[in-house]
Amino acid sequence: MKKWFSIALGLVTATGGFLDAGTIATAGESGSKFGLGLIWAIVLATLAIILLVEMVGRFTAVSKKPYAAAIREEFGFGFYLFPLMSEIIAESLLLAAELGGIAIALSLFTGVSWHVLFPVAALLVFVMAWRAPFDWIENGPALFGLLMFSFIIAIIALGGPSRESLVTLWRPEIKQGELADYLYLVAATLGATISPYLLHFYSSGAREEGWSGSSLLLNRVTALLGMGFGSIGSIAILLLSAIVLQPLHMQATSLGEIGLAMAQPFGSVGALLFAGVLFTTCLGAALECLLALSYNVSQGFGWEWGEGKKPVEAARFNLLIIVFLCIAFVIGILGFDPLQLALFASTVIALFLPISLLPFLVIMNDPQYLGEKINGRWTNIAVMGILLMAFVVAIVSIPLELLSGGG
Amino acid sequence: MRCIQGHVFLIICFKEAWPGRRISRNGQWRSVATGVLVFVMLMLLTGCQLAQSSFSRTTSNAGAAFSSAALTLRYVHSGKITSAYARSAFMNYQSELQGLDQKLTSQNNAPDPRTVEQLLNLYKPAIHVINQPCLDASCNWRSQLNLLMQAEQAFLKAGEQ
Repeated sequence: MKKWFSIALGLVTATGGFLDAGTIATAGESGSKFGLGLIWAIVLATLAIILLVEMVGRFTAVSKKPYAAAIREEFGFGFYLFPLMSEIIAESLLLAAELGGIAIALSLFTGVSWHVLFPVAALLVFVMAWRAPFDWIENGPALFGLLMFSFIIAIIALGGPSRESLVTLWRPEIKQGELADYLYLVAATLGATISPYLLHFYSSGAREEGWSGSSLLLNRVTALLGMGFGSIGSIAILLLSAIVLQPLHMQATSLGEIGLAMAQPFGSVGALLFAGVLFTTCLGAALECLLALSYNVSQGFGWEWGEGKKPVEAARFNLLIIVFLCIAFVIGILGFDPLQLALFASTVIALFLPISLLPFLVIMNDPQYLGEKINGRWTNIAVMGILLMAFVVAIVSIPLELLSGGG
Repeated sequence: MRCIQGHVFLIICFKEAWPGRRISRNGQWRSVATGVLVFVMLMLLTGCQLAQSSFSRTTSNAGAAFSSAALTLRYVHSGKITSAYARSAFMNYQSELQGLDQKLTSQNNAPDPRTVEQLLNLYKPAIHVINQPCLDASCNWRSQLNLLMQAEQAFLKAGEQ
């Protein structure tokens, strides 16, 4: 009974925790600019993240080591610094965007400027990260994140996409001069979905919860169904934007605009539901991102870590939480729009993705860690496919960012 | 005008670069290079521009922001969103559209000075609405809506040029 409860909870957590500022921003902008023409990018990215999450969970459950510690152990400290530095840069930007997302959600509720509410968002994340136990952080925001299923009801209430819009699913309409925008959004969608922080958080969470070889079913269900259902939220936002915003020539360049799509079928309740989903998903993602950064550094440097431990028992881990939150806070108060920052962070993640994912190919084939649970031939081929895709996206992401003017 | 239909170019490139038979590594690189060349040539032959000019981008983004502002104003007066939601949304439109007049006058690739002047004439009253939107029944929101829609149409049209 307890096992099935864990599986159900894992499923709900992965589903509700899938969305964040990056996925909402990219899905909203994709739908309003290119109709259904970028759903394939979300599906592709979801398949990749399912595969990677399953692998990192299997690795941690069997080897009882978190991913970051294994990278350092297998490749040495010098190599470990490359993915670490790239992830610190990309995820600090993303953390700032998530804090901005929380502030914007609060602003949509209160009408107060998000700039004023930004410190409140940072304080809220700090209190949660400092005081809340791991399962609260993991499950709390994710449970509320399930409100995203209201997006699907909105799509049904709106009658679904029009016939002309449906054609863009397999034949995207890219107008003169919009190719750079289109490719930029492909790169940003991949970067937003395949976030290395998710892998570190998942791996560390598996250790916090004491996963072992008997947790492999839980791991598989969480990765496959949880991430699979979670991507429905992204696709639903894209569809809503395509149905409501695209015909009005809106571009979803601010998060509040995306919520207007929910107001059409449900009125002010719909708009506030969107604000609620934005708040909970950004809060969940900010906590995961912040903890993932602190886990990554602590595990790599061999320091004591654990959300369940008192601050005095894992002092450096808790100090890192404060340091990374301060970095993100400073980035945030510079005044960048959170949606644009989320898109930029997703592009930077795409740029560094090969460095973060390359170690997978080696450690997932090491029987010293995994025994007979090493990757099979087809899984390795799939990982190589993801790596190839990550390399291509990394090469084109920044030129596209410049050409498209950041979406 | 459509530049490309979906992924036709990418498929052509892929086919060029990835023959179904086994070939040497040099041959593979040659195929990749040929694929890229075909891609570039097709783009040039069809007059496909990878990105919009900065003038088109600026005006179409502004048009989209005016369109969003118009919808927000309509929704708040039909009770579809709360006034707090609308106030927050307008603050974002404000930061998006502030300084657009200076941006427009500094664009080198504007089609002609008359177009820029016309856009500026529509921008001034529209940005006033963005800065002070009428979110309750005490003021004439319909005239504000008209100003926003006029600006939206003109800027979107300019963005298509």
